[in-house]
Amino acid sequence: MRFKKPLLYLAALVASFLIASALTTVSKPSNYSESYPAVVCPPTLNGLTSQISISSRKTQYQRLENRSSKTLPFNALRFPVSKDSLVITAQGTTPLIWQSRAGSWAGGTLCSGPNAAAWFVGGTANVTTRGRLILINSGLSDAIVDIQSYTENAKQPIKSVNLKSKSYLQISIDSLAPGDKSLAVQVIPRSGRVNAFMIDEQGAGLKALGGDFVNSYPIAAKQLVIPAIPNQLPKKGEKASSSHTVRILTPGEVNTTFTLEVLSADGSFIPVGLNAQSIDAGVVTEFSLEPKITASAFAVRITSPEPIVAAVSSSVTISGKKDFVWSTATPPLTPMSLAVTGLSPLIAFAGDSIAVKVQSKLLNGKVVSAVVKGSDIATWRVPANARSITIVSSSNGVFAGALIASSNGYGFIPIQNGSALTRVEVPNSNIRVLNP
Amino acid sequence: MAVTDRHLVTAIVVTHDGETWLPAVVAALASQTRPADQIIAVDTDSNDSSTKLIKAARIPLIAADRDCGFGDAVALAVEKMPKHIEGNSEWIWLIHDDCAPTPTALEKLLEAIDNRPQVAMVGPKLLGWHDRTHILEAGISIAGNGARWTGLESDEYDQGQHDGIHDVLSVSTAGALIRRDIFEELGGFDSNLSLFRDDIDFGWRARVAGHGVIATTAAVAHHAQASASERRSVDVNGAFLHRPLLLDRRNAAYVLLANSSWWMIPWLSIQLLASAMARAIGYLLAKLPGYAGDELLAVATLIIRPAEIVKARKFRKTKRLVSARVISSYIPPRWSQIRLSGAQVAEAIRAKVIPVAESSSVSNLNSLEEEDLLVPTQRFQMSKFLKNPAIFGYLLLAIITLIQSRNRFGALNGGALAASPSGAQDLWGFYFESWHQVGMGSSHASPAWIAVIAMASTLLLGKAPLLITVFFLAAPLLIMWSGHTFLSKLSNNQFITIPASFLYALSPVALASVNSGRLATLVALMIAPQIPMILRNWKQVELNSWRRIYGLCILLALLTSFTLITTLVSLGVIGFAIVTDYDEKLEQPQFLARIYKRLTLLIFPFILVAPYSFEALVRPARFLAEPGLNLAGGSAALVLSGNPGGAGSLPWWTISPILLLLIIALFSSSPARSYAQIGISFMCAAVLFSSISITVHGNSSGTRTWVGTLLVGATLASVAAGVVILDRLRTVLIASNIHYRHILAGLLLIITAIYSVSSIGWSITAGANSPVQSNMKGVMPAFLTAEADTKTLVLREVGSASSKSIQYYISRGKDISLGEPDVAPGQVREIEIAAQELIDGSGISSSQVFSAYGIKYVFVKNPFSRTVIRTIDGLGGFARTSATSAGVVWRVTGVTGRIIFTAKDGTRSVLEAGEVGARTTVNGAGSITLTETFDRSWQILQNGYRLDRAKDEQSLPQFQVKEAGEISLLHDGTIRRAWLSLQLIAWTLVIILAAPAGRRKREISEKELA
Repeated sequence: MRFKKPLLYLAALVASFLIASALTTVSKPSNYSESYPAVVCPPTLNGLTSQISISSRKTQYQRLENRSSKTLPFNALRFPVSKDSLVITAQGTTPLIWQSRAGSWAGGTLCSGPNAAAWFVGGTANVTTRGRLILINSGLSDAIVDIQSYTENAKQPIKSVNLKSKSYLQISIDSLAPGDKSLAVQVIPRSGRVNAFMIDEQGAGLKALGGDFVNSYPIAAKQLVIPAIPNQLPKKGEKASSSHTVRILTPGEVNTTFTLEVLSADGSFIPVGLNAQSIDAGVVTEFSLEPKITASAFAVRITSPEPIVAAVSSSVTISGKKDFVWSTATPPLTPMSLAVTGLSPLIAFAGDSIAVKVQSKLLNGKVVSAVVKGSDIATWRVPANARSITIVSSSNGVFAGALIASSNGYGFIPIQNGSALTRVEVPNSNIRVLNP
Repeated sequence: MAVTDRHLVTAIVVTHDGETWLPAVVAALASQTRPADQIIAVDTDSNDSSTKLIKAARIPLIAADRDCGFGDAVALAVEKMPKHIEGNSEWIWLIHDDCAPTPTALEKLLEAIDNRPQVAMVGPKLLGWHDRTHILEAGISIAGNGARWTGLESDEYDQGQHDGIHDVLSVSTAGALIRRDIFEELGGFDSNLSLFRDDIDFGWRARVAGHGVIATTAAVAHHAQASASERRSVDVNGAFLHRPLLLDRRNAAYVLLANSSWWMIPWLSIQLLASAMARAIGYLLAKLPGYAGDELLAVATLIIRPAEIVKARKFRKTKRLVSARVISSYIPPRWSQIRLSGAQVAEAIRAKVIPVAESSSVSNLNSLEEEDLLVPTQRFQMSKFLKNPAIFGYLLLAIITLIQSRNRFGALNGGALAASPSGAQDLWGFYFESWHQVGMGSSHASPAWIAVIAMASTLLLGKAPLLITVFFLAAPLLIMWSGHTFLSKLSNNQFITIPASFLYALSPVALASVNSGRLATLVALMIAPQIPMILRNWKQVELNSWRRIYGLCILLALLTSFTLITTLVSLGVIGFAIVTDYDEKLEQPQFLARIYKRLTLLIFPFILVAPYSFEALVRPARFLAEPGLNLAGGSAALVLSGNPGGAGSLPWWTISPILLLLIIALFSSSPARSYAQIGISFMCAAVLFSSISITVHGNSSGTRTWVGTLLVGATLASVAAGVVILDRLRTVLIASNIHYRHILAGLLLIITAIYSVSSIGWSITAGANSPVQSNMKGVMPAFLTAEADTKTLVLREVGSASSKSIQYYISRGKDISLGEPDVAPGQVREIEIAAQELIDGSGISSSQVFSAYGIKYVFVKNPFSRTVIRTIDGLGGFARTSATSAGVVWRVTGVTGRIIFTAKDGTRSVLEAGEVGARTTVNGAGSITLTETFDRSWQILQNGYRLDRAKDEQSLPQFQVKEAGEISLLHDGTIRRAWLSLQLIAWTLVIILAAPAGRRKREISEKELA
């Protein structure tokens, strides 16, 4: 056959290609190490009481100031903390801490993994304040943290703080900008495993004016959604309902405008004066928000051409005593779990089209599922005997926050992961790193 | 001229096996216009018919012993002559049996001395015996290195340019006329100089005795130089081994040492020895070991008998009347020797490179001379110049290369190419040293390509970065040139070969190699076309000379030094050839002749790059590795299109016509089919190897093999097949009706055109931003390089934006440089685990591990995951020392360094450490841990004793110190030096075997001499 030899060569080439294609597998695929970084809960400051909700009794914790690295199981689903900050190996279910000063205020926050940066929009530095900024270094080496404060008057000089390993520091927030009323604080860890928390507590003389945790938001953004703002309706005979104040800051160098849209069960609307409202750069500005709505909770969506940070302060009354709640922005809802033992929060979902599947795990181990649907805002009350809730799935563009009421006061908790699943590629040794 | 002189001339003819020349000599003597007054012949027991010839000529004959030297023979004749009468002008005319004076020779000699009473010796102009226009001598001298100096060029044509009467140091005894009284007064010729150089010695002695020596070119003699050109044996007494060269060199040294001023002797001795060694090397290179031995033995035979020199000097002292300085003007200055040697070398090169066309013997009667007159004078025309395909092709490629290389004007690195060290000296140092400070340290042998680069850098005044830059800039042009030299053997049509070689230089593999810094593939692209040119007949390999085989061995060794894949290819090709030979059932001698030559081509290149190649036998991945960093190649599908893939390679959509050409050629009935078969074989190998992942050169993760070197074979074969097809395609297409050939040709041309446009377009746009760039910012920040030889664990995110991965390596305070990846050790398992735990945050003991291995800092190069930085911050044992735009640095807590001393009480301290070795002091007994990879060549000496060496828990070398005192740490490089010596010997041997062989003088035929 004339073409026998050429055909043999061609067949060899095809066979080579087929063999090579079959064999082509990278001999050592990239390996990943997945873990949830341990979360840190704020310490219990003097005069406060704290309880941490955990989803499993076997969850391990470590006291921050204990130099040994020994970890212990909680052996409880709600754990009272007398003093120390705790480092918890929560493994995906974010613990929640509820703190209160008896007869004065209550508030909660998530125990979270180390912060890259955190914005606290809340607190005041005037004479009424008793607030604290708590910086925690849960790492084994020293940490350096920069604190950048903004007030209604100006941007303040950066304050740098050194933190010893496994320690925390509480800074009176009035020291950040003495005398100024409206604060927004950015905490930027330069090194170390740092967490930051802020407690805004106010009082006039011996009279407590309430308090709350100011939850943090990682970055300034052009659109923020604050999904759960308590709207205490006036009781019979009372005229005024709770008042709300929007505190907003554009931390850049350019003045900007913002538009605030209220999302409520009564519909969504832009309150008068909050459409394309201008604000100066680097200066904290406050606006009064008095939406005429009948729902007990509402959400706001703030948009701006420049990155902004914002929060809403709401005054509430509980058992005749004044308190306030700082509702802060939250990131879009993603699947996550939150320990809620002992609490029965009202969760508000905000978004144009809400379809969220939630599960709650009860103390007896049963799991209850629910699907929350709606538009603009939808609420769901967590069963009282739940130990944890899980967001199984969510439609896009949905934000959630939780409002918790207790005998000592109201609190707001953002619904987000305290510590995101960290997927780290196992590194390879390669001399290539030494070549530009 | 009438014979009216007052001189009495006795011609003395000395014969020794001279029957070849003697008839002409005797006839010449007989036909002199001024005949000699007396002729005496002395025969030194000739074995031929010399005596018969002399007797037949009726010349009185004196018989002497066979070992009688020339001087002694002359002395015998002088003894037989009547006693010299005072006042008589009596001369002896020395005639060799291979020297025929012209008829007027004696007359002209006597004319020259007529008005020169001071002259004791006069000689004629000596012309060649065979080539009678070739001037041999017109007076002689001796150079400081003992060389016989005539002041003439080799084979100089006599046009009368040296005519006249010249004062000279001496003249040859062939045809020399010597005053008898002075001859006797000076004691005749030195009996220690039985042959050769006796003339120079006598002239020298005559000069310092106040006499004159002249050469007159009016007198002419033809000299066969039979003894010097080994036309007859040298049987004189003292001619050790009867070797003329040995005797000549020995006598030259003797003359210099016996006659020179005493204070010149040390300098002369050195000169003689050095020049003897240099000439010996030259003879060795010319494969003339006998002559090399002669050179060395000549000096040795003189050195072992110094009494001879002393005695000779004493004798000369008694005869010396004037200062020895009188001869200094006759000794050739050194620059004359250098100039003449230079001219000879240049002429030799010119003759090799531009051989003079042999004059045609064909009659040119058909040419019309009138016609030439009508043709106007041609002038240089630029348009015509540019229309030359070769000039246009090279010019276009040069322009494309310059545009493509716009980011490569400066010191290059990036891709697989590490930065070059500043000088060739560093490269040589790296090649010679036995220990490399890379990672945890390595005793791997440096690859031989380092020596090649170092050698080339040395030629560029030691500027290694300049060499690399020039190499990458010139690579496309060199590849095109090399390709064209080969393709022009396949077709005479430059309009085919130039575009083909242009495409070869812009082939996917060439472009990818330049862009990703693949030294080996570029060298392969340059060398590959030369291989089939050297080895013309692979099937009948026995027809190739051994010299050709060794020449190819050198070329293959050069390629193997860059990539050991050459060995795999050779193994495949040679193995296949041997099997084919076996199948052909050849006669055993022919089969063996083939197998020897084939195996030589396999084994020698492998040996020449040892020990690096031998190490590959235990680290087989090295066979597939390229020099530099181990970067991934492309997928099998990409490779199938002739594109090796990887960083800097052409995008997939620039499909080259390589595969299509190979397939078309495979079904061709022309010789292109053979090229296609070779190309397809290379393609199969490339595709198969591209599926293999290798772990090599300091990269612990499996990386897809770069098969560029194999694709060079496929590309070259494809281009060659294309040239062969196109060479005859036009004729075939015109002659035939439209059928599949026309369609295929059209398709091929379209694909080629599309490829050309797209590849050039990509090269000058996106290709310019490929990994290899100039003046790239280093990885290591300056402050980490301040501490000498400090280990730093460098973490970096490497890869494209879409697929980044965290990688790390231990730096010795600097970025890597050329060659270091090739010897980089694999990572220590404990360090691997510690690094992994450092990243995922679980590394509680990471700092302790790093500290134990001497790692002092952890450096995270920006940009890097902030999460990981926070994780490291959160771990114990790392103190952050800086955070700059370059990255973040942590200091590993704990006592660590290169040399750690642990006292008996467990206290650890860091000892002063040098680059490799160190000299420092310990304060007491304890143990010294060297935080380098364990190697048996590590030694610590204290008080002249070696300390006990063992492995510690981390498998690091640990030494037990028993007392306080000074210690010396060293890495014993004896084995490396031994390997280098063997390598040098092997290379010298192969170069000698490949070099053109010199011939012994006796092997030169009479015809050639003529």
